Amino acid sequence: MKVSLDKLKVIARWILFALVIAYIITGFGITQYQVVEKITLGLLTKVLSQKIHFYLLIPFLIFLIIHIYLSVTIRRNNSI
Amino acid sequence: MRKNENIIFVVLLLLIVALVIIAVFFYRPDSVPQSIKNLSSVEVREYKGEDLSSIAAFRENSIKGPQYVNISNYKLEIYGLTNNPINYSYDEVLAKQNYEKVVTLHCVEGWDVTILWKGVLVRDLLDDAKPKNTANTVILYAVDGYSTQYPLQYFYDNDIIIAYEMNNVTIPPERGYPFMLVAEDKWGYKWIKWINKIELSNDTNYNGYWESRGYAKEGNLNESFFG
Repeated sequence: MKVSLDKLKVIARWILFALVIAYIITGFGITQYQVVEKITLGLLTKVLSQKIHFYLLIPFLIFLIIHIYLSVTIRRNNSI
Repeated sequence: MRKNENIIFVVLLLLIVALVIIAVFFYRPDSVPQSIKNLSSVEVREYKGEDLSSIAAFRENSIKGPQYVNISNYKLEIYGLTNNPINYSYDEVLAKQNYEKVVTLHCVEGWDVTILWKGVLVRDLLDDAKPKNTANTVILYAVDGYSTQYPLQYFYDNDIIIAYEMNNVTIPPERGYPFMLVAEDKWGYKWIKWINKIELSNDTNYNGYWESRGYAKEGNLNESFFG
């Protein structure tokens, strides 16, 4: 049980990390759209950034909660 | 396994640092409204008990940076489906009946500013041009190539002004001098700055700069700005 929780924590951590990166990049894509559009060769437009940024909020919160929950649970299990 | 994870983590961290460096490198000094800092001594920050935002509270997000219009050869052109095409000079527009109102601009980026605007009714300008019966769309153009469109009726159903003063200060170049549309109840991208042309048209399918890139055509505040 402990092993699978550990594995789950690692997965959640990496997904959360990817979400944070996407959140930062799309945030730049909204406020610094001239730069981001240039760097991404026009692929990440302001409107697309805004849509991704908007739809990432819920997954981000879910994985943040999972990440915190697993961290606390595993630490508690280890200390018993 | 642990070592690989650390390597990936370091690589991603370096990626973030690289992105930040690139963003700083491309940061345009134009976007810092330095020249308007000196205006605070004349800018009003309260109007009839209502707190106003500072002119400097705007964020620079225009498509080509601030435009510096030479007013000596500036013309506001009204053309298209009109019986009386007009070329107004800046002073001719200012000579018309002016109006003041406090309106809040809501940007799709999440910020907003409440400003005391002073300007002339778009309706008055359109009336001078005598729109033809077939005209049903108004397309506004800016000196930087930006454009946005409205149903003609919007200007007759609402008291919409093109402003030349904000908070009792002449609109600075960074904010849209000489004229900025105060598009009440519309998202910020409909508030076109640096207006130099107004076209009366019957092309209801016309899409402005942001509208053609995915933002809603109507741009109503009570609706999503995604088209």
